[in-house]
Amino acid sequence: MRTQLAMVIDSSTCIDCKACMVACKVENQVPEGYWRNWVKSSEPRYADVDWMDSVRPAHFQPGGCMHCSNPTCVSACPTGATYKDESDGAVKVNDRLCIGCGYCIPACPYGARYRHPTRHVVDKCDFCQHRRDRGELPACVTTCPTKARVFGDINNPKSDAAQLLKQNRSIQIVHESVNTQPNMYYLSATAPINWPVKPGKPDAMQFWKLINPSIWGVVGLNALGVLLMLGKQILMSHDKPAADNSSPEKES
Amino acid sequence: MSSPFDPALSRRNFLKWSGASAAAIAAGSQTPVLHAQAKDGNTGQAPTVAHKYTVCGMCLNACGMIARVENGVVTKLDPNPRFLKSRGMLCARGNAGIQQLYDPDRLKYPMLRKGERGEGKWERISWDQALDIAAEKFMKIAKEYSRCGVLFTPGSDTQSTFVHWFAEVFGSYNIATHESSCLLSRNRAYLDTFGEVPFADVLHTRYIIIVGANPFEAIMTPDTIDLMTARKNGCKIVVLDPRYTKTAGLAHEWFPIKPGTDMAFFLALAHVITQEKRYDQTYADEKLYGINELTEHVRQYSPEWAEKETEIPAEAIRRIARELSAAAPEAIVYPGRRTSDYVNSTQMRRSMAIVNALLGNWDRPGGLLAARQVGLANPDLPEAPFYDDNPENRLDHGMANMMFDEEGSFKHLRDAIIAGKPYPIKGWFIYKYNPLQSLANRKKTIEMMQKMDFIVSVDITMSDTAYMSDLVLPAPSVLERQDPAVGLQGSSACACVMARDPVIPPLYESRPVFDILKGMAGRMELAEFFDFTVEEYRKGQLKGLPDAEKALREDGVYYNPSKLYGVYDGKIYKTLSKKIEIYNQRYAQMGADPLPVYQAPREQPVNRYRLVVGRSACFTHCTTQNNALLHEMMPENTLWLHPRSARKLGLTDGDRVEVKSHAGRGELAVSLKNGIREDTVYMASGYDPLSPGLTRIYGRGACIADLIEDYADHLSGNMAMHETFVQITRKGAV
Repeated sequence: MRTQLAMVIDSSTCIDCKACMVACKVENQVPEGYWRNWVKSSEPRYADVDWMDSVRPAHFQPGGCMHCSNPTCVSACPTGATYKDESDGAVKVNDRLCIGCGYCIPACPYGARYRHPTRHVVDKCDFCQHRRDRGELPACVTTCPTKARVFGDINNPKSDAAQLLKQNRSIQIVHESVNTQPNMYYLSATAPINWPVKPGKPDAMQFWKLINPSIWGVVGLNALGVLLMLGKQILMSHDKPAADNSSPEKES
Repeated sequence: MSSPFDPALSRRNFLKWSGASAAAIAAGSQTPVLHAQAKDGNTGQAPTVAHKYTVCGMCLNACGMIARVENGVVTKLDPNPRFLKSRGMLCARGNAGIQQLYDPDRLKYPMLRKGERGEGKWERISWDQALDIAAEKFMKIAKEYSRCGVLFTPGSDTQSTFVHWFAEVFGSYNIATHESSCLLSRNRAYLDTFGEVPFADVLHTRYIIIVGANPFEAIMTPDTIDLMTARKNGCKIVVLDPRYTKTAGLAHEWFPIKPGTDMAFFLALAHVITQEKRYDQTYADEKLYGINELTEHVRQYSPEWAEKETEIPAEAIRRIARELSAAAPEAIVYPGRRTSDYVNSTQMRRSMAIVNALLGNWDRPGGLLAARQVGLANPDLPEAPFYDDNPENRLDHGMANMMFDEEGSFKHLRDAIIAGKPYPIKGWFIYKYNPLQSLANRKKTIEMMQKMDFIVSVDITMSDTAYMSDLVLPAPSVLERQDPAVGLQGSSACACVMARDPVIPPLYESRPVFDILKGMAGRMELAEFFDFTVEEYRKGQLKGLPDAEKALREDGVYYNPSKLYGVYDGKIYKTLSKKIEIYNQRYAQMGADPLPVYQAPREQPVNRYRLVVGRSACFTHCTTQNNALLHEMMPENTLWLHPRSARKLGLTDGDRVEVKSHAGRGELAVSLKNGIREDTVYMASGYDPLSPGLTRIYGRGACIADLIEDYADHLSGNMAMHETFVQITRKGAV
C-alpha cells in the first residue's frame, strides 16, 4: 500500500504550552507573525467559562496542514507548484514552480498556508521533510511534552499512528462544503471542530471569470505557460507531482 | 528511502525508553537516540553538522537537549530522549533558547555607567578595566564598612555555586537567593513536618489536590508531564485557584476558592479524616507525632465552617476528604513550588503537609518522595578565610523567626539596607537576578540601590536591574559555557547528574561568571581560592562516580540507580521527635503555633481587587518576555477582570485602565475573563521594563513589580505577593 504520512493526535493531552509552535518556527525558519502550525482552544475559551454556572473542561487542539488526500489547495494552484507527493502522501510546495500568486491560501479550509514575506513563495508544513531525510521525526512531534502528536505511515499497520488509529475512535475535521479527506486524525472528543472555512478561490480568479470573454485569450496563453511550467517540473524534478484527480467544490 | 519511523524513535520506543530501568540505561541501550549518531562530533552524513548534548537553561528545570550545530551556528535545539527527568520533551522556552543565544538585545561587552543611575548612559570598557574597577570598589567598601557591606545575589543558575563560594572567601554572609521570593515557605513547612523537602510522585498517584500551583502552565519537569500521564491513567485532579488556569481547565474539578483561605480547606480535610478515622492507625502510631493533638485541634474546623471561609461547598469538602483518603497512600496534596503568596504561607503549607502525613504517603509510590542519592562529591577547596572585623550575623538576621540563614529574605534585607541598620551594605554583586521586575515593590528596590556605592550586574541582556547598576558585565548563555556538574532528582523518574560543555564558543565579549569571579579574586589577593578550572572542579565532583563521565559523553546524562522508595525504612525522621511532626515541637518552644491555627485573610477594602501572580508556559518569571520567539505569544500583558466587575467599573474588553496600589501604579488594557473571581485580578509578570534595552517589551503593558506591596511570610521571611489590593480606574476613552 502507498505510504500515507499522517498525524494521529490525542488532543485531550494537549496543555497548550506552544512548544510545537516554537519548535516548528525555529526548525523551518518561519518568519515573525506567521505560523505553520497552531494550538486551538475549545470554545468557550478556557478562561471564559462562567464558574458560577457549569465549568466545562478546557480542550486544546494542536494542528497544522492536514495533508489532505483531496487537497483543495492543489486544485487551486495554477502552476502545479502545490502537489500531493505520492512517495509519502504529504502535500508540498515546489518553490521553483511557485509564483507566489497566493490562490492556494484561501483554498485551504484550515488556514495552513501563508505567503512568505521575503521568499515570495507560499510556505506550509511539509512534515519536516529535511528532518525525515535524516531519520528524525517532525520537530513538533519530537518536542511535544505530552506526546500528543503521533506521526507515521497510517498505511503501515505496524506504525504507532496506524495502531493508535485502529485502537481508537477518531475524527477528521472538515468543512461541510467539501470532504478534503485530511490526514490529521483526532482521537474521539476533540474540540473545537467547527473552525474550518469554506475553501474559496481568490477574488481575483472570480473577477476574471466575470469579465469580458475576450480575456479568455489571455487566460489561454496563461494556461499554456502553466503547462510549460508543469512540463519543466516533470522533467526537472524526480519528485513527480501527483496527478490531480481531486475535484473540490466549485465556488459559485 | 525506507520509512524511518518504524524502527527509529517512535512514540512506543520513546515510552519504552522512558520506562526502562536506570541500570539498563547506565549500561547503554540499543534504542536509537534522536538519531543514531546523536552525540558529539559528525553524523557521518553531512560533515558540517554536529549534534551535541547540552542542558537547557531557560528556567531552572534543566531539561536535556541535543543542539544541532551547522557550520558553527546552532540551528535547532531538540529534546534529549535519554534525559528522563524531562521525559524527552522540550517546551516552548527551551526551543526559544536559540533566540536567547542570537538575540540582538544581548549585552556584548562590559559597560560602565556614565550618567545618573537609570539614565542609560554607558561607556564601553575593556574586561581588564572592568575587573579592576569591580575589585577596587568592593575592596574599598570592605575596608570602610566590613566585608559584609557587600551583598551577593546569585540567581538560579548552575554557576551560582561559584558566586556563593566567592562571597564566602570574600567574607560576606549577606547572600540573598531567588528562593526567598519563591519556595522558602513550602520548604520550611515540609522540613518542619517531615524533616526534608519532598518530591511528589505525580506519575504514580491516583488522586491529587493542587492548590497555589499551576503545573500545566508553570512547567516543572517531570511533574507537568507526569501529571498528564497520571490523568490518562485515571488519576483524579482537583484544583483550587481563584483563576481558571490551564491546570484548572484540565482538572476534573475546579473550585474558585476565596484567595488566602486555603488553610481552612485543609484544616477541614484534616477534620473529616480524623473525625471519621480515615487514616491508618498503625501507621499513625508508629510514624506520626501529635495525631491526638491534631484530632482535638481540628474538631472546630468542620467543612461547614470552611465553606464560609473558602466559598467551597461543605459537601464537596467532605466528599474530597473521603475520596482522597480512599485513594491513600497513592494520593497527594501537591506541595507546589512558588509559595510566595501570603503572610501565613508557611503555616498554610503546614496544613497541607499535615494532610499528606495523614494520607501516609511519605516515601511510598504515588506519594511524597525523599531525596535520592545522586553521588556528587564536594571538590576539595581550600578553607575560606575568617575576617574578625565582620559583624556577627547577616543583616536580616532575626527579622523572621524561622528564616533560612543561607537564603535570607530579600524583603527583610531590603528594609534593613534602606534603614542602614544594624550595619550598612554599600556594594552589590548581582548574577542572573532581576528584583526590579520579579519582586514586590520596584520603587523600594530602587531606593535600596540608591543607598549603595557600587553595583555590578552580570547578565545576558540589559535587564531592569542591570540598567540601574554601575557596571554591567555580559554573560554567555548556557550554550556557550562549561558548567559544573549538577545533581538532579526527577521525582520518581531518576536521580541523575547533568553537566554542560560549550556547544559553541562565547559570542561577543561575553564571559561566564566563573571567569569574572576568578578575575576579581585575582585582584583581591584571593587568587588561591579560585586556583582551579571548571573542568577540574567537575572532575572533583565526579570522583566518586567512575561511570559518570562516559555516560555524560554518550547519553548526555548519568543516572544513579539509587533507592527510590523505602529510603526511610529503618531510619528516623530529621525532626525533634524523630517522627513526622504533625505537632511541631520547635514551633511550640518559640511561641509559634505548633498546629496551624486559621487566620482569615485581611479584609478586602471596598472597590479594591486582590492582585494575584501567575505563570504562563511561555515565560520564565520575567526573563523570556523579550525573546522574539516567545514575545509573539503575548506582546503585552493585560489585566484579567471578571465581566461583572467590569460592568461595575463601566469597562468593556480592551479598555485601558490605571491600576494603583500603595506601592505604585501601571496602565494597561483589560481582558474580560469569566475565569477569574469577581474580587480578584491578574496580570502576567515581566512587562513595562525600565530598560529600553529590552526592545520588544519596552513600553508595553504594565509592570507587576511596581504594583505588588511588600509583605513577607511571618515564619520564613518568604515574600508574600498575593497580599496587595488594587484600585482600577478607566483611563480615557478608547
